[in-house]
Amino acid sequence: MQNFEFTKEELAKIDAIIARYPNPQPAVMPVLWMAQEKYGHVEPDVQKLVARTLNLPEAHVHGVATFYTQYYKERKGKYVLDVCTSFSCQACGGYETLHYLEDKLGIKAGETTPDGMFSIQSVECLGACGYAPMMQITNDVYVNHLTPEKLDKVIDDLKKDQLPEFESIPLVQNRTTAMENE
Amino acid sequence: MAEIFIDNKRYEFEGQTKVLQFILDQGLELPFFCYHPSLSIPANCRQCYVEAGQPVLNRETGEYELDDNGERVIRFFPKLMTACSLDATDGMVIKTHVTSELVRRGQKDILEFILINHPLDCPICDQAGECPLQIQTYKYGPEGSRFEHKKVHKPKRIQLGPRVVLDAERCINCTRCVRFTEEISKSNQLTISQRGDHNYPITAPGTEFDDPYSINTVDICPVGALTSTDFRFKARVWEMSSTPSIDITNAKGCAVDIWTRDNLVMRITPRYNPHVNDYWMPDAGREAYKIYNENRISRPEMVVNKDSIKTSWNNALLTISEKLTGAETGKTLVFASAYASVEDNYAIQQFFARFANTTVIYVPDIKPGTGDDFLITDDQAPNSSGCKLLGINEVDADQAKGMIDSGTYETLVILQEDLVGRGIASTESLTQYFSVYLGTNNNSTSRSASVTIPITTAAEHFGSYVNVDGRIQRTLPAKETLYTDRRLDLQMSMGRLDHYGTRFDNWVSDNNKIDCIPAWEFLVRLSHEMNLEFRYNEAREIIDEIALKNSSFAGISYERMDRELGIALQDQPSKELNPA
Repeated sequence: MQNFEFTKEELAKIDAIIARYPNPQPAVMPVLWMAQEKYGHVEPDVQKLVARTLNLPEAHVHGVATFYTQYYKERKGKYVLDVCTSFSCQACGGYETLHYLEDKLGIKAGETTPDGMFSIQSVECLGACGYAPMMQITNDVYVNHLTPEKLDKVIDDLKKDQLPEFESIPLVQNRTTAMENE
Repeated sequence: MAEIFIDNKRYEFEGQTKVLQFILDQGLELPFFCYHPSLSIPANCRQCYVEAGQPVLNRETGEYELDDNGERVIRFFPKLMTACSLDATDGMVIKTHVTSELVRRGQKDILEFILINHPLDCPICDQAGECPLQIQTYKYGPEGSRFEHKKVHKPKRIQLGPRVVLDAERCINCTRCVRFTEEISKSNQLTISQRGDHNYPITAPGTEFDDPYSINTVDICPVGALTSTDFRFKARVWEMSSTPSIDITNAKGCAVDIWTRDNLVMRITPRYNPHVNDYWMPDAGREAYKIYNENRISRPEMVVNKDSIKTSWNNALLTISEKLTGAETGKTLVFASAYASVEDNYAIQQFFARFANTTVIYVPDIKPGTGDDFLITDDQAPNSSGCKLLGINEVDADQAKGMIDSGTYETLVILQEDLVGRGIASTESLTQYFSVYLGTNNNSTSRSASVTIPITTAAEHFGSYVNVDGRIQRTLPAKETLYTDRRLDLQMSMGRLDHYGTRFDNWVSDNNKIDCIPAWEFLVRLSHEMNLEFRYNEAREIIDEIALKNSSFAGISYERMDRELGIALQDQPSKELNPA
């Protein structure tokens, strides 16, 4: 069994987080986040570590960890591909994107590749309807306007541990100006 | 005095109060699920919606503004307010479902939301019949559901801990159980897992809900989500009758209700007593039904030629009276008991006061370190303080052992105390004596005694017990014995089944009546046999006599104990007292 411990530097950082609040409860979220960045997940043993470190009941930390889907309560791949399948993305081909990824990696949504590189999740709206269809990689960068070619490139890059650059796409702010520009 | 108008009626209030609590205090009704007077107020069920408004104050004149009819102008909050979290203020106007169509609609819609994923399994649910959700749906709910989709499925039959089972589908996430573990028992073992329509209470992974107060969460659960492992599927609530009593498994004496069906105790639940236990009781106290139901001594027993046989009451009386009459003075040792009621202890003390030089003692059963500073005490017995106040000599276990082994005595009379089980006497040492055991349950002492007299438990007699804080409370008979009848004794409670059940119904028989009498009654019969002046007709006479004779008990009566939820005795039991 793996032994989960925070290092001295991490503990100092946690103390700084705790000092920000009147009581330790609010520190649960950032510390869970630290733990997830360190271990890639917050399995029950990691939740216990957080509870122990903050001197809070395990049940409380468990409640917080399960409330937010962004905390991984089980081990995931190195890169978690959250493909949005909510309304806007769905209308623009969200499911096609999801199925293309599933076929390409040979796993279903919710599963992890045997080499532990990728997990695919079908998620609800990520608030980027203007970029549909889109996905998020491991709670981090958004990848917009997905096409099969773009997905191929992203996967190849990720295999080389290269996260895609975030492309900012300015939305049409003013309809008349946009029409004039055309 | 501040005033508040509820459904066009004026009420007065003092200090700070929440609107819901105030409404409930007036005996009015307002539906709610998550609110509990002893817990914090999350206002998450939204069921106690009311319309609330405040009079408009003219800041310049300091007077309330009046409309054309001379009525106060009321500025209502724009939305419905949850009464549980709303502070009552002077001049506030509240409209509940009685006067407001909006509130009626709000309550109905909230119930429709709550019921969207709630299973329709009332016919097999333990909570049915005492379920706030069921009752309030009948009273305030919609007639049907407009939700045509599949209900969300959640884990069922989760063994949260050794004594509590969770059915997450029934849960309405009121968080009463979570708040109980955080605020009352302080074990912090429960949390709400996940969110939205998938949430339910659970322990942290790998831990179990083994809180010594865990079953209280079953009591406060407003639905059937948390059920007691032990009581699950044993009885429907409308088949039982409930009788107010007290917990006899430790010295706190939590107020309880004893629920019986066909003279078997099915369950024990806490009863509100702000002076002792509030709304709670320890899990261990609920196990007392086993003392009341199982392994009972029924009919007197005697050792004849080394065999223990059942015998008649007459024969037992004759044998004992013969032995006591023939006994030398100073050779009888009497054990009163912290496990027996004040009445029984007083009776045995007074009865043996008629024999010169008889030693009456009791041995407190205290296990240091087993208690907490809440409702579990180190003292294992319910009435140590009572024995002390009656002036019975307190003797510790080693001294008592020495007295038994000394050879000074020839006759032992033991009230309820399991001397062998507690290691005070051994089976061998008891066989040296003529020993009379007045007890409720079979144990190693009853098996070693020359004569065993079955006596009533706290669930079968009127008895008072003085708790660790010096508060005297009483029990009422919940179970019939062979000699009592709840149809004739108006002080006994009767449930529906007791009233209307016939032999052709399920659960009606005469099989569970024990052949036993109160210890004091046995002593009265014995005094008849021995021509002694010792007469009582009922337990009430004994307590009235104690109230007259013993200054520590001055002024007490059953009526006062009932009315005042027990009486704090003037003298604290820690004081040294002379025998009465």
